[in-house]
Amino acid sequence: MGEPTKTFVITRFDPDKDEVPKTQEYEIPVEADWKVLDAINFIKDEVDPSISHRWSCRMAVCGSCGMMVDGEPKLTCKTALSDYGDRVTVEPLANFPIVRDLVTELEGFMEKFQRVKPWVIRAKEDAGAADSKPPMNDKGTFVQSPAELAEFKQFSMCINCMLCYAACPVVANEAEFLGPAAIALGHRYNLDSRDQGQDERNEIFRDEGTVFSCSFANECSEVCPKNVDPAAAVNQAKFGAVIDWATSLVLPRASAGRRGEQGGK
Amino acid sequence: MAGPAHPDAMAPSKPGKTRTAPPQMPASWWSHPRIRTYLAFDATGIVYLLLGLVALRVVWALGAGPEVWDATIASLSNPLYILFHVIGLVSVLFVGVRFFGFFPKAQPPRIGPAKPPPQPVILAGLYAAWLGVTLLFAAILGGWIF
Repeated sequence: MGEPTKTFVITRFDPDKDEVPKTQEYEIPVEADWKVLDAINFIKDEVDPSISHRWSCRMAVCGSCGMMVDGEPKLTCKTALSDYGDRVTVEPLANFPIVRDLVTELEGFMEKFQRVKPWVIRAKEDAGAADSKPPMNDKGTFVQSPAELAEFKQFSMCINCMLCYAACPVVANEAEFLGPAAIALGHRYNLDSRDQGQDERNEIFRDEGTVFSCSFANECSEVCPKNVDPAAAVNQAKFGAVIDWATSLVLPRASAGRRGEQGGK
Repeated sequence: MAGPAHPDAMAPSKPGKTRTAPPQMPASWWSHPRIRTYLAFDATGIVYLLLGLVALRVVWALGAGPEVWDATIASLSNPLYILFHVIGLVSVLFVGVRFFGFFPKAQPPRIGPAKPPPQPVILAGLYAAWLGVTLLFAAILGGWIF
């Protein structure tokens, strides 16, 4: 008996030569314990060095190797080849412009990320104040309890692999949609006890193409390799944006830097 | 890939130096069981629209005299109408169960100092409220109250 083989159907696209992407098949010997990424690396190293793909850590931390495997977004370094048949289709992440072969354009994703202000925002009048909330310790950093950390920790585990964008039906049809990971990150800072930028982010969340574009398909959470549950974040953010809007009608807002009620201290 | 996604999906605001191929939707998008469930969930909106039109017809008959009212109510016993109402019932049950399944995780960790109850308690409350409202309407329509 010869060693087992599998056929890989891989998307190829050379922007200098091809009008549209095409596919190319490679039949290669495979090892029983290989991940899908091992097979793609084998093809690049031993069969066709012209294939372009992204990867780095090989342990589901860097988020670089996201691709469509048999039509579903997967981190290829975490996806066992033994779960697939003799013919495996590998495509670039859906819903992203294709730069080359299995490599997608990331700039649009980074722009969406920046829109949600993914950093701790402090009100100017509170900066460095001795009576700041939460209190500062003698090293000049804010004190945060384990319970306060637990409120947002799940949403901070995102590795920016973008599988959620490839799975989301709204991303596929609505170009302005901020998307699951960006909203989850904005919501993560809204829940952070050190942050005072909730009003600013909730204003962004009430814009068109943000949280209320989500139709709760839950696909983002289904494919998330780190169990971040972006669908929970997006729909909690809806709730927060509505509460923030309702409270703004009856409570005066001194500045855009002040926190609202939901999730705030 | 199944077909094109929105041509500007995930595109940067300024095009890069390299030409890119337009974004595509995955080949399995329509056939995947999870996506079919999601599409069925959204498609129930059509059933609710039609149920609303039937309700409007009945309300109109109420103001059009006893003969029209009797004829309208009699027409609802047509097998096609009964089938339609069975489809409506299945749609409501399907949407209720799916929506209630997602509802607990959509709750914020707290509103001000108040934390939501544990997820099983939220779920139990939702189903109890659903049952209560259903029984209330059944009692009204059955003539047991009012």
